[in-house]
Amino acid sequence: MEAYSIIKVRKGKKYFFRSTVNQRLQHIILATCVIILVLTGMPLKFHDTSWAPYLYALFGGIKVAPIIHKTAGCILMVLFVYHLIYLSCNIYFGQISPLRKKKELTIGKLLKLLATQPFIPNLKDLKDIGQLFRYLFFLTDKKPQGDEFTWKNKFDYWAPFWGIPILGISGLIMWNKEFATRFLPGEIINFALIAHSDEALLAALFLFIWHWYNVHFKTSVFPMGTVFITGYLSEKLMVEDHYEYYVKIMKKAGLEDEILPPSESYDREPVKGGKVLEESG
Amino acid sequence: MKLKRFCKIFSYGFVLFIAYVLFMPMDTFAADIGNCLLCHKYPGLSRIGENGKFRLFYVNENVFMQSVHAKVKCEGCHTDIKKIPHDPAKKVDCLRECHIIEPSSEQKFSHKEVAEFLSKSVHAKLDENQKPKKYAEDMPYCLDCHDNPLYRPLSFFKRVRPGISEMALGRCRVCHKKDEFIFRFYNHVTTRLHTTRSPKNIAEMCGRCHDDPKLVARHNLSTKAVYSYGETFHGKAANYLDERIPDCLDCHVNRGKSVHQMLSHEDPLSITYETNKAAICTNIECHPKATPRLANYKVHMELTPENSPKEYYFQLFFIALTGGTLLPLMGIMFLDLFRRLFPNIRITRRK
Repeated sequence: MEAYSIIKVRKGKKYFFRSTVNQRLQHIILATCVIILVLTGMPLKFHDTSWAPYLYALFGGIKVAPIIHKTAGCILMVLFVYHLIYLSCNIYFGQISPLRKKKELTIGKLLKLLATQPFIPNLKDLKDIGQLFRYLFFLTDKKPQGDEFTWKNKFDYWAPFWGIPILGISGLIMWNKEFATRFLPGEIINFALIAHSDEALLAALFLFIWHWYNVHFKTSVFPMGTVFITGYLSEKLMVEDHYEYYVKIMKKAGLEDEILPPSESYDREPVKGGKVLEESG
Repeated sequence: MKLKRFCKIFSYGFVLFIAYVLFMPMDTFAADIGNCLLCHKYPGLSRIGENGKFRLFYVNENVFMQSVHAKVKCEGCHTDIKKIPHDPAKKVDCLRECHIIEPSSEQKFSHKEVAEFLSKSVHAKLDENQKPKKYAEDMPYCLDCHDNPLYRPLSFFKRVRPGISEMALGRCRVCHKKDEFIFRFYNHVTTRLHTTRSPKNIAEMCGRCHDDPKLVARHNLSTKAVYSYGETFHGKAANYLDERIPDCLDCHVNRGKSVHQMLSHEDPLSITYETNKAAICTNIECHPKATPRLANYKVHMELTPENSPKEYYFQLFFIALTGGTLLPLMGIMFLDLFRRLFPNIRITRRK
C-alpha cells in the first residue's frame, strides 16, 4: 500500500488511489472469466432459443465450448482460493501480527478488528441507503456521502463472494458426477444443475446490469469507467460517491483549501451555480 | 412442302429424344422398372386429400437412391398398383414379404418379425390377455416412427469419420466387380453399425407422442419425457447435434435388443426398472467409473410440486433470491437514472 500515493496529480487534476496492481489483476481475471463463463454457459441454459446456437458456435460448439467453460471455471476457482489467501495474509500480517508483537491482541480486539474491515457492511451503509432513497425520491438534494467503500461497492464484492463457491461447487459436482455420486445421492446432480444455472443467471444479470451501470454506464461515467485499469478515481467521481472519505484524505494530505463542496445533484452545477439559480428563480 | 416441314420437325424431335436418352441419369433405369417416375418425377405432383390435407406425390430420385429401400421396386411396396395411370393407392403394408431375398436365410425378406417384437413391447396395442389396451389407437405403427431412412455410411479407415472410405472401397474392388453392389453393401453395413438418426432426430420422433399433452394425460404418463430430457445435459448436447450423447433409445432399450422390444419401466425385465437402471448409466460406454447411485439422478425431472417437490422448492428459492436481489436494485437504478436526467424536479420545498 505504501508504494502507492493516495492522491496523484496529472495535468492539474487530482486522482485518488483505489486499488493495487495485484487487486486490479485479480479483478480483470475475475471479469474475463465471468464473461467467458456467461457466454459459454448461457447458450446451454437457453438452448432452445434462436440465438443460442450461433453464440455457442462462436465458442466451438458442443465439442469445444464445454472445455473453454471448464477452463475458465477452474481459473476462477483458483483465483477465489488465491483471494482468500491474499485477504487472510493481508489481515494477518498487516493488522493482527503487529498487535501480537505489541502483545495487545485480545479476542475482543480481534473480533472488533475483523468486524471493522473496510468491506464489512456497517451502520453507515444503512444510513447511506436511507439517504439515497430520500435523494432519489427528490426529498432532498443532499446525496449520501460515502466512505472509502460504499454499500454498492460492498454489494458488488459480496455477490461474487457468495456466487463463486455456489457456482464452483455445483459445477464441480456436475463435472465429476461419477466421483460425487460415490458419496452423495444421484439427485444431487439435479440440485447442482438448478443451483448452477439459476445462480449464474442471477450473477450475470447482477453484474451486467447493476454493476456495469454503476461503474460504466451512469451518466457521470459513461461510456466507460477507467478505475479498473488505472486504479485511480477522478476527483469528480470521488466527490460524487465517496465524499466522506474524500474529505478525510484531503485533510490528511493537508489540502483543506482545495476540498470541493459535495455535489448536490448529479448533473447540475454543484452548490454555487445551483444556489444562485434557486435564489434568482 | 408439308412433308418437308413434317420431316424437319420429326428430325428435331428425334435428335432431342436421343439426346435425352443418352444423357438421362443411369439410376433411372435401375430403380424405376415400372416407369413410375414418368409422372412422379415432377416436383409439383400433388393434390388435396379427402381429409383436406395437402399431399405431395413427388419422388426425388436422387434422394430415394440414397435410401435403404433404394433396391426395392416401387411396386414391391405399392402392390395394389397394376396399371398406369393408377387409382388412389392404398396405404403400404410394411409387414408384407417383398421381392428381396435375405441372403443369410435365403427367404423372402419381411419386417414381420418386427410386429412380433412390437406386440410384446410397451408399445403393443394388445395387453397380456390379448385384449385391446385403453386408447390402443395411440400406440405407434411403423410409419409413426419411421420414414424411409437415408444411408449414413461411416469410414473406419485409420479413424472413424462420417462418409465412405475410398481406401476401403479400393479393397472391396479386389474381389467385387460391380461398383453399384459395393456402394450398396458398404452403405448398408456401415449405416447399420451406428444409428440412422442423430439423438436430436430420435428425441424429436419420440416427442411427437411423448410430449403431446393430451396423450401424456390420457395414458397417465408422469412427465413430458422429451421436454424433461431436453433440460438435461444429454438433451442439451443432443440439441447441439452431438452424436455421441445418449438419446431415448440408448436408455430405454435393453442392451442387445431391438428398439421394438422396449419394455415399460414397471416391467422387472426392463432396463429402466428401478433396480436395473444403474446398469444403463454405468455401462462401459457411458459412466463406467460411476456407482449405482448415479442412476438416482432424475433424468425426467419436471419442476412442478407434484413431479419433484424438493427440486421445485429449491428452484423457487433461487427465483425468490434473483427477484429479491435484482428488482430492488433495478428500481434504484431506474430512480437514479431518472434523478440524473431530471435533476430540477421539485416535490417538496427542500432545505
